[in-house]
This record gives sequence, structure tokens and C-alpha cells, in this order.
Amino acid sequence: MVWQIIILFLVLLVLPVLVGSIFSGVEHKGLNLPLRWVSGQICLWAGFQAVSVPLILMPREKGFFSVVILYMVFGGAMLLFALGMGIKRRVRLRAVSNTAAALKKDKVALLLWGLVICLLLLQLILAVVLAYEEGDDAFYVAVSSVTSESGTMYQVLPYTGGSTELDMRHGLAPFPIWVAFLARVSGMHAATVAQVVLPVTLIGMAYMIYYMIGRRLFSGSSRRGLPLFMLFLEVLVIFGGQSLYTAENFLLVRTAQGKAVLACIIIPFLFFLLLLLFERMQKRQGAEYWILLGLTTTAGCLCSTQGALLTCVLVGMGSLSAVVSCRRWRILIPAAACCLIPVGMAVFYLLLG
Amino acid sequence: MWTDVVGVFQKYMGTGLIVIWFLGALVYLFLNEKRRERRLLFVWLPVIVLLLYFNPLFAGVFCSMLGSEIYFRNCWMIPFIAVIAYSAVCILERLKGIKQLLFGTAAVLLIVVSGKLVYANPLYSRAENCYHVPDSVVHLCDAIVVPGREVMAVFPSELLLYVRQYSPFVCMPYGRNSFVTDEKNDFYIAMEQDVMDVAALSVYADTAGCHYIVLREDKEILGEPKDYGWEFFERTDGYVVYRNVKMPLDF
Repeated sequence: MVWQIIILFLVLLVLPVLVGSIFSGVEHKGLNLPLRWVSGQICLWAGFQAVSVPLILMPREKGFFSVVILYMVFGGAMLLFALGMGIKRRVRLRAVSNTAAALKKDKVALLLWGLVICLLLLQLILAVVLAYEEGDDAFYVAVSSVTSESGTMYQVLPYTGGSTELDMRHGLAPFPIWVAFLARVSGMHAATVAQVVLPVTLIGMAYMIYYMIGRRLFSGSSRRGLPLFMLFLEVLVIFGGQSLYTAENFLLVRTAQGKAVLACIIIPFLFFLLLLLFERMQKRQGAEYWILLGLTTTAGCLCSTQGALLTCVLVGMGSLSAVVSCRRWRILIPAAACCLIPVGMAVFYLLLG
Repeated sequence: MWTDVVGVFQKYMGTGLIVIWFLGALVYLFLNEKRRERRLLFVWLPVIVLLLYFNPLFAGVFCSMLGSEIYFRNCWMIPFIAVIAYSAVCILERLKGIKQLLFGTAAVLLIVVSGKLVYANPLYSRAENCYHVPDSVVHLCDAIVVPGREVMAVFPSELLLYVRQYSPFVCMPYGRNSFVTDEKNDFYIAMEQDVMDVAALSVYADTAGCHYIVLREDKEILGEPKDYGWEFFERTDGYVVYRNVKMPLDF
């Protein structure tokens, strides 16, 4: 069990943080661990989509094991590339200690941060100790469970175990196969990965994205702005059960399902990237910004077939808003390029599905 | 189409009070937020998404291609909670002293009253193990599973959701999809009766190739299981497992 946890810690936290250093310059130079973690994971998800979909569409015996090997090669290559880039960049660790020292002077801000952390811990603990009778898990968790054990992808009916033909809607958005990958490499049961490990990781990641948004919004104001923003968000999420369909409900209830990741990680991260775009409309965005935006739309396709549509609509409307506001028509070209993969996936779905 | 779209939005929003706070926050930011990037993200983008959501052309194309049952997911593109939280903090920062405290407390209370605690959902229960499936499923599957092959077993409806999450080596003649679709499986209907008619169940079990039959302990059994080739196998967590000897478990 200890080794399983260590492996998952490395795959879900250390590897994304290291890979994410490729995109650390998107926001500002510095350690910026939240951006590294989220952008690294987004990059790895996009890579998983690229590796797994062709092998799912060409069904063969034990195809999943080829996905595992190829994805590990991809992860290793990204790690080497990131480490190579990291050597060139110097990290400013001093900024972190400065923030901590400043915080000590404001007792109210410190108290608010304490509340934020307590509420976050409460949600993480409840994600572990409470089980939810979620009907869709009979499909998604069973797909992960079958895949990690049998090595076949979408060739077995998850509800019963009978054989079936590839269902395009799910085959083009293979998030459960990624869950199966985590189960396979760690040796942990797929149900435990989906019901315990991923909720803890992904709820933390979702709040990290809001932290990144809040940090930009309240960087110039008092030190209390950001913890208050996070506190309001947490209360809104915890009391977001006004219907079963809200993104907040999906975050806490269906955390390890691809659609929840789309609603609570991919889309908020797109908001963060759009905020960066809007803030720097007069400046030219670097290539790494557009690559990260393109990877985010691709990762959206991994989560859900509808991810292709939602990410394209958001990027399209966001970039058009920027164009209207700033008359910088050139934004449209890289923005359109970022939507190429989701558009391709949508066309594929319509043609084959 | 229009009524469908509005209906989906109403369903998404529950009581609708959160929408009121969201619209209020939107108006506040429209009037008070001067920074262009924030107006774009928190005012104009949500407005454009709302216009798109209620656009009959978009709704028509979407529903014809992807189905109306997932139309609600378009609401995920509206940053409801970020807009409400941001505007609440902006208002708080403009206030001083006791007014700040009063507004902050009132805002949190309004959110609590307008929303609904996610964890209050009756479908939540204390996790019995690290798989988040009932212990009974773990015990039953561990008892019937045979190394190196799959087994076919029929379970009562309350276990269907969990069996294959825990063990991909246990196959079932019908799954969770049987009780959410209109076309009910005959075997499923027979298993859900108050009295377990072994003669009828035996026919279905043989046809489906079931190696094991799992019945609720408290259900009345009509007929002698032994007469139909069912051998008592295990009794655990309120369930009785019978081994259908007519179905060999060869490797």
C-alpha cells in the first residue's frame, strides 16, 4: 500500500510539477508551483489523449498495455524536456518566503487562510470517508477496473462483462482509461484510485486553479482579498447542491468522472488562461501560452466528447471578445489553431459515431 | 425547444436564488468594475454564454447532434461561483469596520440559505472500505471468484451498481442498466419479486449460464433449490449464495 501511494504521489504530483516547468513562464517567472502542477497535468492529459485514442480506434488484444508503455515513454520524454529547460531557468524561491513573512503581520488574513485550509481539508476528508451511490460509476469505474485487469479497451460491456463493439462517444473521451493507467502502474485497485485517490487530488487541483485566478485578481489589493475569495468559493461549492447538475456538485460527488474534470478543472483553467489573455491584450502572447491553451482544449476532449464543443466555444468567444475590445485581429489565428484538435475530434465523432 | 432550454436551466439552478445573486453580482460588476480584462471575463463572457445558451439556433443544433439530456452542461461555461465570490470580495473591500463584518456574514448566510449542502444528499453514506462499495459486495465477490477465469453470477438489484466496480472477473446476466431502462430484463423482474420462485429463476439462470445465484436472506423461497441443481455455497452479510452445479467451472 505504501509503495502504491508513493507511485501515485510521483505520477499525480511530482511528474506534473516537473513537466509543468515547461509552462512556468506563461504567468510570471518564478517557482509558481500551482501553475506548474496544473499545466503539467494538462500537458500529460493531452498526451494521453494523443496516445490512447488511436489505439482505442484500432482495437486489438491487450491494446491497453501498449497505451501504458507509450504513455510512460511520453511522460519520460516530457520530463527530460522539462528538466532540460529547467536548467536554463533560475527559480526565485525568495518570493515565497516574502509572502509568508508579510502574511504573519496580518492576523485576520492568517485567520482567513486558516479557515480556507480547514474547509479544504474537510472536503478532502469527506471525499475519503463518505461514499456516494453514483449510478454512472457502474459504467466509468467498471471500465477502469476491466481495462486495468484485462488490458482491453471498450471491448467489454462494463455493466455485465459481455463483449461489445466500440462506443464512439466514450472511446473518443477515454478518461476512465487514464484512471486504469494509474491503477495499473501503481498496483492499486481501480475503484480505490477512482473513489479515493483522484477525488483528493482533483478537488485540490480545482481549488488551486481558483487560487491562481484569485491571485491575479487580488494581487494589488489587501492581503485579505484572496483568502476571502477562496472562502466564498468553498462555501459556494459546499452549498452548490441546489441541483444534481451544477459543476460544484460534480466536483464533490463525481470527481473522478471525466465530465467533472471538464467542468471543474479544464473550464476554470480556460478562464484563467483567458484572464491572462485579456490582461495582456496589448502585448504579444508567447508560443508557450498558445501551446498550453491548445493542450487544455485537447485535455478537454479526453474528459468528455462534449469537451470538444465547450472548450472551442469558450476559446472562440474569449478570443472574439478580446478582438472586439482591443482590435487585435491576429489573436484569432493562434486561437483558431488551439481549437483544431477538438474540432477534429468532433468531426471524427460525427463521422464515426 | 425554448421551453425545453428554459426548463433545463431551471432544473440546473434548483431554487433559483443563486441565479439572483449571480445576476446581482453581474450588475454590480457592470456598474463598478472599470478594469477591462475583468469586465470581459466576469461580465461580457458570462452574458455572451447566456445569450448563446438561450439561442434557439444553437440549442436546436446542439440537441439534434448530442441530445437534449446533456444540454445543461453548457451552463458550466458560465462562471457562476467565481462571479459571485469576486463581486462579494469587491464589495467587502469597499466597506470598513462593522459594516464589513456584517456584509461578510450576511453574504455567507445568503449562500448557505440559497444553496443546498452537497453532503446532505441522502445518497451519501459512510464508506465501508477503500473501494467505496458495500462490504457485502467485497465478501460476495471474494467468495465466488475463481482464479484464472470469469464467473457468471446474478445479484439482487441493490448490488448491481457495485459488483463490477469491485471485480471485473464477476460477470452478470444484467447490470445496472437493466433497472434504469424501460425495457426490463425478465430475469431481473423475476429476481425482484417478493417470493423467489426457484423453478422460474433456475430456467433464467441456466439460460444465462450463471454459476452462482445470490439471493437476499430475508426473501421467501418457493421450491427446493437442491431439486434444481442449486447447492448452498455461502451465507454472508444478509445474502445467501447458491452454486449452480449444472454450470461447470472448468479452467
